[in-house]
Amino acid sequence: MIAIEVSGLEMSYGDRQVLAGIDFEVRYGEVFCLLGPNGAGKTTTVEILEGFRQRTGGIARVLDMDPAAQPARVRERIGIVLQECGFPRQARVAELIDMWRSYYINPRPLEELLAVVELTADRNAQVRRLSGGQRRRLDLALALAGDPDLIFLDEPTTGFDPESRRRCWAAIENLRALGKTVLLTTHYLDEVERLADRMAILQDGRIQVAGTVRNVARQACVPTRISFTAPERLRAGSLTLPACLDISVSGGIAVCSTASTAVALRELLAWAAENDLGDLDDLSVANPTLEDAYLQLVTGGTR
Amino acid sequence: MTVMAANWQPLEWRTLRRTLRLAVSQVLIEQRSFWRSAEYALFTFALPLALLLLIGSTTAKGYLPGTHVEGQMIFVPSIIAFGVIVAAYVNLGAKLATLRHDGVLKRIRTTPLPAAAYLSGILGSTAATTLAITASIVAIGVVAFGAVPRVSGLAEIVGGLVLGVLCFGSLGLALSSVARSAESASPIANASYLPVAIMSGIFDPTFSVPGWLSVIVGLLPVRALAQILQQGYTPVEHAPLSDLYVLLAWTVAGCAFAVWRFRWH
Repeated sequence: MIAIEVSGLEMSYGDRQVLAGIDFEVRYGEVFCLLGPNGAGKTTTVEILEGFRQRTGGIARVLDMDPAAQPARVRERIGIVLQECGFPRQARVAELIDMWRSYYINPRPLEELLAVVELTADRNAQVRRLSGGQRRRLDLALALAGDPDLIFLDEPTTGFDPESRRRCWAAIENLRALGKTVLLTTHYLDEVERLADRMAILQDGRIQVAGTVRNVARQACVPTRISFTAPERLRAGSLTLPACLDISVSGGIAVCSTASTAVALRELLAWAAENDLGDLDDLSVANPTLEDAYLQLVTGGTR
Repeated sequence: MTVMAANWQPLEWRTLRRTLRLAVSQVLIEQRSFWRSAEYALFTFALPLALLLLIGSTTAKGYLPGTHVEGQMIFVPSIIAFGVIVAAYVNLGAKLATLRHDGVLKRIRTTPLPAAAYLSGILGSTAATTLAITASIVAIGVVAFGAVPRVSGLAEIVGGLVLGVLCFGSLGLALSSVARSAESASPIANASYLPVAIMSGIFDPTFSVPGWLSVIVGLLPVRALAQILQQGYTPVEHAPLSDLYVLLAWTVAGCAFAVWRFRWH
C-alpha cells in the first residue's frame, strides 16, 4: 500500500540540477517527514508531487497517478497546506470552507471540518479578524475540504510559538488517527522526532538517509556517547584512561564515544574496578539523537 | 475504437458541464463578496454616476456645435463606456493583483477547480457588476436627461457591453500581471486609461485633439467602445465596423498577453 512512490526523480532548471535522482516511498496512513536544510530540494520535490512542476527525469506516482499527467485528478484527492497563503478579504469562516468544498466532487461535511480544526464557534467570524493560530487552522480546514487521502504540509509550524506548535502537532496526529497519509516538509528536528513514522533527509538534491527516525540516527554512524563524572584522581592526573577507548574529559565530565556500546561499557567498568573507582558516578548512555545524525550528515559532523 | 470514443465523449461533456457549473457558482461567490464590501461597491458606482450628473448638468447641453445631435445622446453612452472601463479594467486588474499578492490565487490553484472556471467566474462577476452600473446610467440618463436608447440600437449596446467587458477584462487581467504589487495596480490602471478617456472625448463630446493624436486615439479601445455604444443611442457619422475591429484586436491582444504572462503567485 504505497501512497507516494518516487524513484530516480530528477529535476533541473536549465543547467542547475536540483534533484539528482531521489528515491523514497510513503505508505498509506503514515506521517512521512522530508527533512533538509533550505535549498535542499524539498519544495521542488513536493511541487512535483502536487503536479505544479514537470520533472525532468525519473518516476513519481501519487495515489497511483502521475501528477504531471493528471494534475486535476491528483488534486481532487490531495490536500495542500502552503506557507503564507492569504484568504479572500471579505470572507467569513464557514462561507470560505463551503466555497472550497464546492470545488471538490466529494467534499467533507462542513460541520465535521469546523469540528476537526476547532473553529465551530468562529464559523461566522470574518477571516481577517482571526488570530494567527486560527488562520492556520483554517488553512488546514481548507486543505481537508475535499476529504483528501493524502495531505501535504509545507513547514507547518515555521514561525509558531510553542503553544501553537503543540496544537498543530496534535492536529497532525489527529490526521493520522483519521487514517490520512501526511507528507510533511520541515527543518525542525523535534517536529520530526515527534511526528514522523518514517523520514528522509534530503541534502543537495540527494536523499542522504531514509527510514524510521531510529534507523536514520543509526545509519548516520553517529557514535553512542557514554558519559560519567570524571573521578578526582583522573582530574588530578594520577590516573590513566584505558588506551583502547576514545575518551575525552572536559569540565569534570568524561565522555566516551563508541560504535559498540556493550564492549565499551565492559571495558570501562573493568577499568573502574581495577582502579577502585566503584560504580562510576552519573554513568549514562546516550543513543545518537536525530539531531546528532542530522548534523553529522548535513554539516559533516562539526558540532 | 468505438468503445473508447463512446467513453471519451461523455467524460468531456461532464468535465465541461462541471466547469460551467463551477464558473456560475464562482460568479455568485464573487458577487456576494463585491456587494458585501459596501464601500468598494459604492465607489465603483459613484464615480461614473457622479460624472454623469456633473457633465450632464454643465458641459453637454443642447445640440452639439454644427450637428443635429443632442449632447446627452453622446455623453450618456460615453459614460456607459467609462463604467465598463472602471469595472472591467481598473477594478478587475486591481482585484486580481490583490488576490495574487495575498496568495489567494496560489491557494485556489491547490484545489481541483479548473483555472478556466475560476477566471470565467471572476469575469462573469465583473460582467454582472458592469450590467448593474450600465442599468443605473441608462436609468438616470432617461429620467434626468431624456436620453433614451434607440430600439434598433439594442444590438450595438448589448454587443458593445459584451465586447467591452471581454476587451477591458482581458486588459485588466494583463494589467494585474504587469503590476509588481497590489498597491501599484490601481495607479497604473488610472494612469493608463484616464488620459486616453479624456482624449477620446468621454467626458466632453466637444473635446478636440490634433489630427495625429486623433489617429492614435482611434486605434485605442476607449473611443471605439464609446462610439459603438453611442451608435445605440443615435446614428452618428463614423465607421462602426472599424471600431469593432479595434475592440476585437485589443481583446485578442489582451487575452494573448494575459495567457502569456498570467501567474498564480
